Amino acid sequence: MKDRKTTHFGYQEVPVEEKAGRVADVFHSVAARYDVMNDLMSGGIHRLWKRFTIELSGARPGQTILDIAGGTGDLTARFSRIVGPKGQVVLADINESMLRVGRDRLLDRGIAGNVVPVQADAQYLPFPDNTFDCITIAFGLRNVTDKDLALRSMLRVLKPGGRLLVLEFSKPQSRLLEKVYDQYSFRLLPFMGKLVANDADSYRYLAESIRMHPDQETLKQMMVDAGFVDCEFHNMTGGIVALHKGLKP
Amino acid sequence: MTDPTFRAGFDAALETAINTALKYDPGTRARLQRLDGKALELNLTAPPLQFCLCIEGDQVRVRGHWEGEVSTRLTGSAIAFVRLLRDPAATPAQLDVSVSGSSALLAELQSIMRDLDIDWEAPFAQLVGDMPAHTVGNLLRDASRWLSGNLRRAPRAAAEAVSEEWRLTPPQAQFEAFVEDLADLSLATERLEARVQLLKARLRASGENFSRRGAE
Repeated sequence: MKDRKTTHFGYQEVPVEEKAGRVADVFHSVAARYDVMNDLMSGGIHRLWKRFTIELSGARPGQTILDIAGGTGDLTARFSRIVGPKGQVVLADINESMLRVGRDRLLDRGIAGNVVPVQADAQYLPFPDNTFDCITIAFGLRNVTDKDLALRSMLRVLKPGGRLLVLEFSKPQSRLLEKVYDQYSFRLLPFMGKLVANDADSYRYLAESIRMHPDQETLKQMMVDAGFVDCEFHNMTGGIVALHKGLKP
Repeated sequence: MTDPTFRAGFDAALETAINTALKYDPGTRARLQRLDGKALELNLTAPPLQFCLCIEGDQVRVRGHWEGEVSTRLTGSAIAFVRLLRDPAATPAQLDVSVSGSSALLAELQSIMRDLDIDWEAPFAQLVGDMPAHTVGNLLRDASRWLSGNLRRAPRAAAEAVSEEWRLTPPQAQFEAFVEDLADLSLATERLEARVQLLKARLRASGENFSRRGAE
């Protein structure tokens, strides 16, 4: 029997072709209560992480921005205001449920005209080369099956000089914080998931997928290997989250 | 280096406070709108902090990191900035604040800050209703007027208590009369001294004449 190539899905090893489907199931399940859970899980701090991401994006009126794994549209909403009517923000997500929630939420807030929702896989972005001034992917890269492929795809669609910002959970920089964070992630998080979204498994997967995600230095090297230059990262909240930045040469 | 989370939290709190206050001052919002797109960079020396106030429509955005064009850049202490924006007589040079870029934006912001008229009663009315908010508002306004009046009168009242009640210092009128008498006395002494000098000179001259005649 021929060996099948596998990848991780949280702490499980699954065939590569199954991961996207399994991740999709998780996000179909959490989409409706995604925002409530984000606020609850992070104590609202995810808004500050995103605020810093927006600042480092250096977005300007008239620019074209791609918000990959844009989910419920937090970053897209802010970018839409910054780029103005002459710019454009593409809200991309592989998951139809998340995209629908995001699109509806943006429309409910009166954000339209310069926002285009697109269902897209980060590994195979359906855009021409050199299209975007800036690409952001917030809390999405760890769910991508082949991260190297996704990074190369992002590099392709970025304009020369354009920047990629990867906001993602990472490795806490202190032992004590790591222990507290482990207890929180593996005990409290699934419990809250069960209580609020009636879905402990999805939130257990989120905690496991965070642990399996490359740490700060590894991800930075992956970006360099993909072809980005001037790569750097900023640890936030003691390294629980890191913002990586790289430019297309 | 400060964790960007704390910094973003500070910026977000400051931005919310500014824009919430502006919500209750439509006049200032309208004036701010005319400055849409301008950015004021503040480099605080004490406490050491740098941020940019970007005007977007009738809102103010606080950014710890700003790569866009800066219209005016100010460097100085936090207290100096507050005085510069609130005190009509204050100038950057007096307060040791350095300014680069457009001074027109600074002048306009100074004018806006001086005319700031926030209706604090409005947010309170949304919580408790118009009548209670108006009653509490009147009480607070009366208290504020009483306090500011007393603060204005306090130095004079304290001076009167020290001199009139406790007699620790002479009353001002008595002190001024004493100073005047002292000045007169000083002048009279100087005149007397001059007169004595004159008399001495005359005596010396007449003594010399007498000696010359005796020798002849």
